[in-house]
Amino acid sequence: MYGTQSRRDVAYEYQAQIPILRPSIHARRANITVKFQDLYGFTVEGNVDDVNVLNEVREKVREQGRVWWALEASKGANWYLQTHVSSTLKSSLKFSALVNAITLKRLIRKGIPPALRPKVWFSLSGAAKKKSTVPESYYNDLSKAVEGMVTPATKQIDHDLPRTFPGHPWLDTPEGHAALRRVLVGYSFRDSDVGYCQGLNYVAALLLLVMKTEEDAFWMLAVLLENVLVNDCYTTNLSGCHVEQRVFKDLLPKKCPRHCFFEKCRIYAHLEDLEFDVSLVATEWFLCVFSKSLPSETTMRVWDVLFYEGAKVLFHVALAIFKMKEDELLMTHHVGDVINVLQRTTHHLFDPDELLTVAFDKVGSMTTTTISKQRKKQEPAVMAELDQRLRRLNSVNGDDK
Amino acid sequence: MATIGHNNLNAKLVLLGDMGAGKSSLVLRFVKGQFLEFQESTIGAAFFSQTLAANDVTVKFEIWDTAGQERYHSLAPMYYRGAAAAIIVYDISNTDSFGRAKKWVQELQKQGNPNMVMALAGNKADLEDRRKVTAEEARVYAEENGLFFMETSAKTALNVNDIFHEIAKKLPRAQPAQNPAGMVLVDRPPEGSRATSCCS
Repeated sequence: MYGTQSRRDVAYEYQAQIPILRPSIHARRANITVKFQDLYGFTVEGNVDDVNVLNEVREKVREQGRVWWALEASKGANWYLQTHVSSTLKSSLKFSALVNAITLKRLIRKGIPPALRPKVWFSLSGAAKKKSTVPESYYNDLSKAVEGMVTPATKQIDHDLPRTFPGHPWLDTPEGHAALRRVLVGYSFRDSDVGYCQGLNYVAALLLLVMKTEEDAFWMLAVLLENVLVNDCYTTNLSGCHVEQRVFKDLLPKKCPRHCFFEKCRIYAHLEDLEFDVSLVATEWFLCVFSKSLPSETTMRVWDVLFYEGAKVLFHVALAIFKMKEDELLMTHHVGDVINVLQRTTHHLFDPDELLTVAFDKVGSMTTTTISKQRKKQEPAVMAELDQRLRRLNSVNGDDK
Repeated sequence: MATIGHNNLNAKLVLLGDMGAGKSSLVLRFVKGQFLEFQESTIGAAFFSQTLAANDVTVKFEIWDTAGQERYHSLAPMYYRGAAAAIIVYDISNTDSFGRAKKWVQELQKQGNPNMVMALAGNKADLEDRRKVTAEEARVYAEENGLFFMETSAKTALNVNDIFHEIAKKLPRAQPAQNPAGMVLVDRPPEGSRATSCCS
């Protein structure tokens, strides 16, 4: 009945014998799945090519580091903060700010070195500003005040702690669980409309890995939910998420057109024929901000741009994934095949540049304003749909449990 | 929707139930024969496929394992739309999860495909000492609502393959004749004598 089982067992046995990042000659020959640790300590499965790509990525990260350090040396430690032109500044300063802004946008799309991420994200996302509007002791006070309190949110958080990236060398330890718990519980009290939404566990976990301090991770989570992403992404009926999905469905045929003007967007038409709803895969992408789908460094590179350019970046990336696999997707016959192609693609995107080049150079530009307009357009339909569903469900006099 | 061609049947199956009831674990056990003490929480839904033979038909299940948290319910219609089968999962050691399961049954009865094969799975049957929902209570409920019922354990593999197998057996005669493409399905004798396949 389960013909694939035995083959899988064999593959697992092989994995156990293969040392990290040094696949054996047999593995190379047979192109067998190997397990290795990535830059953020996650154990990932891939083939030997993936290991090589990851090693190249490590080298590129080091190169980017040198570029950033050189800029700090020539322009000053906080040069990237001087990109906003204040009206009181002299024109000569305005010019240098403009140069900095252009340099910065390009640099960020090429990636922020992991060592600089905490500092750069914290300033550029607005988290630093958000934190500065409350007393210094805000986070500590909040953590202390909510300690020992039990709410539906805290119960769900406790349930999810060991289920958040299980097996990670730090996140899946008592210390990691405790830090993640404080951030999520703290946030559930900061915004009771959000409380706790599954998905945030993955997001907060990655923020903890990057930001080094728990408090900074908390503020990054706050700025992400309150300023970067669309409103109500994580509240009771995920209405914001529904809006984003509709916007995405609208964008797909526009942004993945074929070369010929008259030709209908083939990929869109094909997926429609298969009755494939893009939300089937994109919901997780958006709610976890890709943290559960893409390899960690690729996710971080998406977040680099997200925190600087805003939520439109999510559309760029989601569209890019479809665009990269256009030919393969056109050959699918079943919804299942489409999903397998997309999952395989996202899980193996170990080279962030491969994804981001398509996302920003091939998808075409989008402005935050156009996305906002699209959202406004979709909101009434989403609200009507959610409302209708509730009314239909409540129409039967079932028991209330 | 289930579609049939030759002796192959594609069937969309959705798992619904409370957070932590063990939906993903059931699927992992069925698809990969594995069990993880801590299974990553599912966001949106996860997709799997697995094929099994039932009587003379090979059924390819396209499985949608959905997220359990209540706010995710607004996404559920996308996953159960057109499903040929559903497994509604609760945790026998958690009364609330049984209540949640009943709500799912109600929703499917109202909004789902009317010919959907529905199974009720009382999961974590290995936790006998922490049992809160009796098998009898669940069986009565299932009978009243036209579901078939099994207690399962993803951990010990108890009844996991069986529940999928049982669904597979019930599928063919439950198919509505609204297939958009391909051959129209003819009703099959429900439990009929095992036909010998000419080409195995």
